Amino acid sequence: MEFFIDDLRVLFPYPRIYPEQYAYMVDLKKTLDAGGNCVLEMPSGTGKTVTLLSLIVAYQMSSQEKRPLIYCSRTMSEIEKALVELKALMKFRAERLGHEEDFRAMGLTSRKNLCLHPDVKREKSGSVVDARCRSLTAGFIQEKKRKGEDVDVCVYHDNLDNLEPHNLIPNGVWSLDGLLRYGQKHTQCPYFTARRMMSQCNVVIYSYHYLLDPKIAERVSKDFSKDCIVVFDEAHNIDNVCIESLSTDITEESLRRATRGAQFLENRINEMRDSDQQKLQDEYEKLVEGLRGDDETREEDSFMANPTLPEDLLKEAVPGNIRRAEHFVAFLRRFIEYLKTRMKVRQVISETPPSFLAHLKEYTFIEKKPLRFCAERLTSLVRTLELTRIEDYQPLQEVATFATLVATYEKGFLLILEPYESDTAEVPNPVLHFTCLDAAIAIKPVFDRFSSVIITSGTISPLEMYPKMLNFETVVQESYSMTLARRSFLPMIVTRGSDQATISTGFQVRNEPSVVRNYGSLLVEFAKITPDGIVLFTPSYLYLESLISMWQGMGVLDEVWKYKLILVETPDAQETALALETYRTACKNGRGAVFLCVARGKVSEGVDFDKEFGRTVINIGVPFQYTESRILKARLEFLRETYRIRENDFLSFDAMRHAAQCLGRVIRGKDDYGVMVLADRRFKSKIQQLPKWIHQALLGADTNLSTDMAVSNARRFFKMIAQPFRTEDQEGISIWTLEQLKQHQRKMQEELIRELQATEEKRVNQQQQAQQAQQFISARERPDSDYEMDEDDEAELMALDP
Amino acid sequence: MPPQRPPTSAPRPGGVTAVSSLAPDGLPKPDSDDMCPVCKTIRYLNRDMEFLINPECYHSMCSSCVNRLFNEGPQQCPYAGCHRTLRRKGFRSPFFGDLSVEREVDIRRRVNQVFNQVEDDFNTLRDYNNYLQMVEDLTFDLVHGDEPTKRKAEAQLQQWEAEHKTEIERNRRAGKEQDEQSRRRLAAEQAAARQRRLDAIKEAEEEKMEKIKIKEMEIDSLERGQPLPDQQRVQLKRRGNKAVEAVTNLAAGSSSTADAVGKLSIRGLKEKKKEPRPEGPYDPFGGLDLTPSRYKIHGGLSHPNVEKYRSDKAHVTGGYSFDEYTSRAMFEAFAGLGVFIEDERDVGVGLVASEVVGMGAALAAVGGDGPGLKMELD
Repeated sequence: MEFFIDDLRVLFPYPRIYPEQYAYMVDLKKTLDAGGNCVLEMPSGTGKTVTLLSLIVAYQMSSQEKRPLIYCSRTMSEIEKALVELKALMKFRAERLGHEEDFRAMGLTSRKNLCLHPDVKREKSGSVVDARCRSLTAGFIQEKKRKGEDVDVCVYHDNLDNLEPHNLIPNGVWSLDGLLRYGQKHTQCPYFTARRMMSQCNVVIYSYHYLLDPKIAERVSKDFSKDCIVVFDEAHNIDNVCIESLSTDITEESLRRATRGAQFLENRINEMRDSDQQKLQDEYEKLVEGLRGDDETREEDSFMANPTLPEDLLKEAVPGNIRRAEHFVAFLRRFIEYLKTRMKVRQVISETPPSFLAHLKEYTFIEKKPLRFCAERLTSLVRTLELTRIEDYQPLQEVATFATLVATYEKGFLLILEPYESDTAEVPNPVLHFTCLDAAIAIKPVFDRFSSVIITSGTISPLEMYPKMLNFETVVQESYSMTLARRSFLPMIVTRGSDQATISTGFQVRNEPSVVRNYGSLLVEFAKITPDGIVLFTPSYLYLESLISMWQGMGVLDEVWKYKLILVETPDAQETALALETYRTACKNGRGAVFLCVARGKVSEGVDFDKEFGRTVINIGVPFQYTESRILKARLEFLRETYRIRENDFLSFDAMRHAAQCLGRVIRGKDDYGVMVLADRRFKSKIQQLPKWIHQALLGADTNLSTDMAVSNARRFFKMIAQPFRTEDQEGISIWTLEQLKQHQRKMQEELIRELQATEEKRVNQQQQAQQAQQFISARERPDSDYEMDEDDEAELMALDP
Repeated sequence: MPPQRPPTSAPRPGGVTAVSSLAPDGLPKPDSDDMCPVCKTIRYLNRDMEFLINPECYHSMCSSCVNRLFNEGPQQCPYAGCHRTLRRKGFRSPFFGDLSVEREVDIRRRVNQVFNQVEDDFNTLRDYNNYLQMVEDLTFDLVHGDEPTKRKAEAQLQQWEAEHKTEIERNRRAGKEQDEQSRRRLAAEQAAARQRRLDAIKEAEEEKMEKIKIKEMEIDSLERGQPLPDQQRVQLKRRGNKAVEAVTNLAAGSSSTADAVGKLSIRGLKEKKKEPRPEGPYDPFGGLDLTPSRYKIHGGLSHPNVEKYRSDKAHVTGGYSFDEYTSRAMFEAFAGLGVFIEDERDVGVGLVASEVVGMGAALAAVGGDGPGLKMELD
């Protein structure tokens, strides 16, 4: 369908549109016009991706400057899905417009997924693929080859150099598969094709990390122009992604390997001094002059980049005491040894970067400034030494990154040393957590650089939390409700068991037999009445295990077994994948199954339980984080100190966004239906924190139910939903045809006009009234007004006189 | 006290000259952490075995060996090939696991005491970096160099110390001061954070109490059968006040901390306090200048017609100064300056025309004979 928003011609690849999709587009356009950021929440399964893409592509094509779109998503499958949608959209546009547009879009993922080299692609681990790829494609290897030396190279990569550098791949939408196929056919490397063509693309779709992780972002995403539109989809966890990208954990093992890495470096330097003194000298001179090696070919395959350094520092020369290679290696060794000593302490320590630096200086005479240049200097050295087995230096790099970060940021970070894994452990296994507490640090460059950043997800409530935590301003901040022709999902809050005892997973009561039995009977009852699949979420693996063992003792599982197959999620990814597969088979067979999972596990985030795969979702307990974790405590404290977010507010916000994620797993579209059960007393006070679309569907009567009432409610719901229902019934309510859309637009326009008229009238009225009042007053006051004026004037003159 | 010896250890004559695992630079391998290289005691047999080193030669041995060997006075190092004489007093436990780093750091400590210049002491960054590299080279010579280079570096170090004595002393003091300052700042920050935390807890507590109180009141009122809208309104108002307060507090707090940070982070650039300007005599007119700007008055009026009365007894009385007359005459003569007769004539206010003319004549007469009165006409 084709319609206009203001004067923007939008081509939408489906014959019908949801009202919320239209509203979403309008707000999106508002944001783009204003050139600001926005936070938008749209119910899951209402076609968010296609809405986004069709509006932004329309926007791009209509304007002169063609602002490129960077679309960031979370998982590979979501990236693929977005690419498929985009492909369909472009096909539709071509049909409608009658010609192919000058348009190029591409997905990017890791080397591991895009490699064609027959040997390298067989490697299992991503980092090994990266390292091997680098050893075949690095700049100095190519140089050697040009000189005629016999070195291994990658033919796929080298073929790229024979092509026109700005036209490595023709126009069109290239999915990851498509890239691979094209690469195979033309013997060119898909990964480097995508990397090099990125700045020539209208749309780039990739993972968050390419933009948020400063170590990667600088290499991959630095060529994008300032006017890019950046979209973070499924962004409800964006703060955690930001924090993880700047946090590092250092263990004794990694330090040992770092020492070994430093040893290798030293050996290599000695070798080179004997054979190729000139190169070291060149590097040294370059560092003296303060020049950065930033020629293009090297940038692409560089070993690593420095984490966010302030711009002025990047222009400065490397400090004199780490300029020479052997000085730098000794410097690194001293730092590593210091860390090793610190790790020997047998009590928990948490300290801020300034106090760490002060202590470091006292014992090793390492100043802050050279520490700051550590990562940068290591990169340069690795480049100079022409190292190929880069995986050996990974731990060293981690230490260097840590050094740079700790010296760069005074605020927003904390060092926590935990000597034991748990409170009861006897054998020490020290870990030095360097944790980022401020999500705003990692995402700040994105907001600084790009004018429009759009953060969107199915569950991103409460909306105002995100601008607060990530420290940005929004133009539009909106949550859309779900327009439904019938009640297609039934959220309920169960606070009591059948015996009227309250149920909760609060720490004191969670293992009480009565609570566990009540949860068990809840599951049994729903297993009886639900067709097909049931998904049950618990707050943690630990609690899930204890529930299962207690249910086994109570005979709950035997009872459930009569109706459904029981499957359990485990921390092991492969086991879970197998369980999921079995679950799907069971649901397709008609008998159905119960899947017991964990609210923060893999299943709750990326797996969809659409249609028959999920007819009931039961959330047992509010999925709070483990509050005894020191890292979490530090972060809570930071949030309170810096952003005035109270501990309880944040914890409950975090728990509810995960709960909402879990609930959202079962409704994946407007035809889908299901029951959502929130089984905990504490949910009652947190209704406001649910996303608007769930919150609106939750009736007041359903917020304080006991198990039997919930079951009878659900039974009624399933009966109601079983009635025949045609698509036509939805039209005009939850689905609009083109006519209905136009009607809506007309109505909105009329309303707008009426509003404007009203305000205009009001204004005019006010003016008239004011005038009348003025006239009235002046008429009344005229007789004695002359005298007064005179006196006033006189006073004024007097004042002016001196 | 004979040290326990594992039965598997190779028998060595005397058991005192034993070094089996040496790194290339003559120091023990960093991870021979579990066995004393001198008496071969392993950690399994003595769980709280502690290793000590002497900064003379950095050879490590367990504390019981140190006691055993050096109780009687200075002795030679038990390591083979090391002929240094050690004293018990010199032994200490090492900070680093890797003893070569320990040694390096000890040397650095010494070097750092001499070479303690900071970035502010240099004109360009390049000079500073060159200085840093010079120091680093020197340290490297001291740590890794062979005997002659070491001696040379040592000489250089002493020379530098002699040359830059005052600077070194100054920088040391400045560094100490800065350390002290940063420590104080950290402490202050921590204290502030703790205070805020306590406040937050207190606030939460209060809110809770209030909630309970309100609830009780509600129940009471329900008992009596009348709702209490007033109280609730009060409650709301109070909460609003609190929110406003919090915001202002936050603003004040952030600005004050920003100030503190801004002040403390700049070192050496502090503005000197200006001395207050000396206060002048009291001016009743508040700075209004009464000296005429359009003309200057010279000494006084002297005219033969006037002069002759100056000494005339008949005209002089007590309390009367003759200058009064002259200055008055002058004032009257010039009072009209800046008055534009043409304009005033048109309006018809002010002086009568004939008067003006007369005054002009008088002025001319005085000006002509007077001692060079000048007027600025503007």
